[in-house]
Amino acid sequence: MKIVVNGVPTEVDAGPDDAAVDVLREGLGLTGAKAACRTGVCGACTVLVDGTPQAGCLLPAAAVREREVTTAEGLDHPVQRAFAVHDGLQCGYCTPGFVVEAAAFVDAWRAEHGDVAPPRERIAAALAGHLCRCGAYQGIYAAVAAACRGEHDGDAAVPARVEAMDKVTGRARYTTDVRLPGQLEGVIIRSTVAHARVTSVTGGTRHVVDLLPPDRTVRYVGQPVAAVAAPTRREALAAAGTVEIGYDPLPAALDDTPGAPPVYDADSRKRAPSSSEGLNLPGGWDGNVRGPFTRAGWRGRTAARRIEAARRAADPRLVTGTFTTAVQVHTPLEPHACVAHWDGGDLHLHLSTQTVGLAAAQAAERWNLPPERVHVVADHVGGGFGAKAGITVETVAAVELARAWAAPVRVVLSRAEELTDAGNRPGTRTTLELLTDDKGDLAALSVDVRGRGGVSIGSAVAVFARLMYGTAPRRLRDYDVVTNEPPGTPFRGPGAPPLLWALEQAVDEAAHRRGEDPVALRRRWDGNRKRHALYDWAAALPVWADRPPTGSQSGRFRRGVGVAAANWAYMLDPATEVELEVEDGVVVARTTTQDIGTGIRSVIAGVLREELDLPAERIRVEIGRTGAVYGPPSIGSRTTTSVAPAVRDAARRLRERGLAEGARVVGRRHRDRYGYVTPFAMSGMALGRGFSGAVHVTEVEVDTRLGVVRPLRVWAGIAVGHVYAERLARSQCEGGIVQGIGYALYEERHVDPVTGTVLTANLDDYRIPGIGDTPEMTVHFHRDGWEHVTGRGVGVGEVSTIGVAASIGNAVHNATGWRPHDLPIRPDRLLEGITR
Amino acid sequence: MTTLSDLGEAARRGGEFRAGGTDLMAREAAGPHVNLPDLLDPLNPHGLPDLSGVTWRADGSVRIGALTTVAEVARDPRLAAAHPCLTLTAAGLATPQIRAVATVGGNLLQRNRCAYFRNPAFSCHQDGGDSCPARAGHTLRAAIVDTGPCVAPHPSSLAMALLGCEARAEVHGREPFPVGDLYGDGSDPSRDHLLGPGEILLGVALPPPVPGERAAYHRAIGRSEAEWPLVEAAARLVLDGGRITFARVVAGGVARVPLRLTEVEEALLAGEPPDRAAGLAAARCTPTAQNRYKVALLTGTVLEVLERAGGAGREG
Repeated sequence: MKIVVNGVPTEVDAGPDDAAVDVLREGLGLTGAKAACRTGVCGACTVLVDGTPQAGCLLPAAAVREREVTTAEGLDHPVQRAFAVHDGLQCGYCTPGFVVEAAAFVDAWRAEHGDVAPPRERIAAALAGHLCRCGAYQGIYAAVAAACRGEHDGDAAVPARVEAMDKVTGRARYTTDVRLPGQLEGVIIRSTVAHARVTSVTGGTRHVVDLLPPDRTVRYVGQPVAAVAAPTRREALAAAGTVEIGYDPLPAALDDTPGAPPVYDADSRKRAPSSSEGLNLPGGWDGNVRGPFTRAGWRGRTAARRIEAARRAADPRLVTGTFTTAVQVHTPLEPHACVAHWDGGDLHLHLSTQTVGLAAAQAAERWNLPPERVHVVADHVGGGFGAKAGITVETVAAVELARAWAAPVRVVLSRAEELTDAGNRPGTRTTLELLTDDKGDLAALSVDVRGRGGVSIGSAVAVFARLMYGTAPRRLRDYDVVTNEPPGTPFRGPGAPPLLWALEQAVDEAAHRRGEDPVALRRRWDGNRKRHALYDWAAALPVWADRPPTGSQSGRFRRGVGVAAANWAYMLDPATEVELEVEDGVVVARTTTQDIGTGIRSVIAGVLREELDLPAERIRVEIGRTGAVYGPPSIGSRTTTSVAPAVRDAARRLRERGLAEGARVVGRRHRDRYGYVTPFAMSGMALGRGFSGAVHVTEVEVDTRLGVVRPLRVWAGIAVGHVYAERLARSQCEGGIVQGIGYALYEERHVDPVTGTVLTANLDDYRIPGIGDTPEMTVHFHRDGWEHVTGRGVGVGEVSTIGVAASIGNAVHNATGWRPHDLPIRPDRLLEGITR
Repeated sequence: MTTLSDLGEAARRGGEFRAGGTDLMAREAAGPHVNLPDLLDPLNPHGLPDLSGVTWRADGSVRIGALTTVAEVARDPRLAAAHPCLTLTAAGLATPQIRAVATVGGNLLQRNRCAYFRNPAFSCHQDGGDSCPARAGHTLRAAIVDTGPCVAPHPSSLAMALLGCEARAEVHGREPFPVGDLYGDGSDPSRDHLLGPGEILLGVALPPPVPGERAAYHRAIGRSEAEWPLVEAAARLVLDGGRITFARVVAGGVARVPLRLTEVEEALLAGEPPDRAAGLAAARCTPTAQNRYKVALLTGTVLEVLERAGGAGREG
């Protein structure tokens, strides 16, 4: 059929029922539009059809026959420059869809209203059909408003990040966009039962790759069993449909009751996957319960004794509560994806990964290859949030299929797979007791947390309570409760959000009972000097001073203001190096790290600009591939603090040597003054000295009639020392707030209690925040206190999100007098809570 | 070349009609349980012009072709003046990209959004099975007016609005009939509308406007935009002085079919205050433990639209 694509009449070979986005991507190689959700919810596939934005994933090819289709690649519009300048993007995967829709909106708005900025609500309504998992919405608002004001009609644009123009024009290639000659599509066949021994896998095409664990047992619905490949995804799915799996069913544990059937036996539990970022906390097993890990506590028996005495005396200074959190799914807009091909004895992987180096090392080990024969490329990565570390199943499937077929194989998870078996933050149930003494000081704390990470272990939540509020006695116990549900993986500040959800509300309650300002009480209890500065900043905010007395309002709409503090470790990768080489007069920087949307490319370029005083066109950053010197994985808030000092070191060396053609230097990250907490790095991670801090102040409006909590404004005070790239750091903090709002109000994985099937298997049913849910955000950086750190700055990724939900809980309490205990704060919970 | 009879014949051999495709394409992508012929191409209607567009008749009534897009309905100024209940609802559903291609007919005849029905791992009454897995599982979003084995709320916001507008459905080969008869009483768990195989919805017709009508629509959702409703409601009111002389109140998201809340209408006409009238909607609800909040949400949403249509309440 004929389509005019980006102004060019084009003949395409497509069936009338093919989705237009596939025709563009697979048929024409126009990969700007992304097929990210396939339910018309996320908008990443949006294209213009005769000038009107439409969702390319729901558009039958028949509907674009003889029509004019415009993709981000064919767009040349001021709003693209506005997105680049105002940093309306992070990982960039959703960006082509956003800019296509925004272009149509900006044109229509200016034609009707002239060159004035629209109200926020109009921008939100226009972009309601788009989702950005990084949460770049504040930049998007700014970009659309600026474009409407006509500020980007000229060509001049200084992008906030170096690759921004590639992302706003759809040119940036992600792993899902890679298409090699002769490439096949692989699909994973997954278990349809929650617990069974697999007795047979029969049928299918020539090569059926086995993905079962050594004991041939599946332990959750959605667990990979096998994989097949075919020239197209449709054919691969058909081939997968012919594979028959024989199951010998075992009883399944789909809840955490004590009598539930065992998920593991003594042998198999040694291979239980982990949701923890570091090592698993040690612990014994009792049925499906593992733990408790208690060693993070401090004078735990004293704490328990004091709490028990207070309970017996019905002491009103004893604050108790059971708090729960739902399973939160990472669901980066670019799903897990890998293109694998073998070239002689060399393995080439295009991989959507947060850990280029680690993935290569694990691949070398797994397929028994010399490290230099594994080549990983991750030019652009469409978000990760912790889910894309190391070798995951799509990579195993792609590599094995590529070997079996002797052809390149691409495996891209569907959104349903991504929402089922690609990582989540486990749900938790926390029992917390907090006692204050006569002076209003913390006298004792007890935190018991049962983490429910499906078949995974590694819950580490209560442990974080050791690191806040001084040295009062505290009993801290972490348990895992395993079930036949999909496993968790580390998710941006892994155990901290559930701990803070409970602890920061309990602290708030203690202040409330004492009649003390919650900021003032925290300032008394908290020994962290950097956070003291943040408390002073928070206390001086007009919104804090003007907050209503708790529970004082009786109208339908009630305004509330809440605060929460957060504490996070300073992690780094001390072995980080950066090499610089002068090629054709351009300084090229290389290291084995990757940009998952945090902006490390731009941080590197920025440091080079500062140090070498070079114009942008004489600097190039080549990251996202193996073959360069060692660089850090992008997990644990460590990329920038590891890389930037090494870049500076390299730049200084180069300056000393002179920028002669061919000059090459390697810079290192110099050791911090006083060294590190950990004597050596494990998996590239060392624990540095000092803790980063955050204080979030959140204003909400609660609609008591319809049960809706609307965050209006959020102030984030962040203490991470030197900020290397101000706008990008702010973007990351804003995204952290947006994800925290999702955790607080919307996000919840549902599993069918009868079969164990994940029900929230699309982005209609798993609800992440949209642009209309975004409050006005103000980020304040406190820059002192990190003088001992090389480069004086530490990571911002995790500390900026972990306390947000708790600040919303406290704001809801301030507004209504009712304290939410269960996340998310859904309309049903709010309506029931405030009428109880 | 293609005639309605040809299309009907093709449909009787199996398959579903595709209009904008926003429902069918998503269902096809979700799993293998839909395999459909390309029966009807909405953008090149093969000599079927009556299926698209808004046509005003001499008596003031208006006909909207089944393949008219939701966006066309939402932005039509004459429709907005005559039938604000419909245009407000059209503007309030889905997202701009969906409204641009989704059609009135497709919206009325789409399949429900129950997570169990949409998930290929489950079989239920709606896809040829003989049970409802939702009843034993998650019912947070399920119907609270329990009229039959299936508990999936009806998905069509426009069906609710058109019920409130007392529209009639035009189906090829049949006399026009009230739009509510597309759905019946909700007792048939096997489908979301009652058209037979091969029956083609051609359009809907709305009676002449009611002078002085004020209307409101509200969609109760957790987020600010782009969500299937937990509950939705629309109201049409005519006020004479402080007295309500005409009332049509409808609700969606709470039952297998869109509901007209005649008990609320009668109370309003009898002079009951809006909160008392809205509260009457609770009497027909039989929620589960998980979704009993929807009863309060229903009465709250009805009150919301009554207040807004009556000129009170908050803007927006």
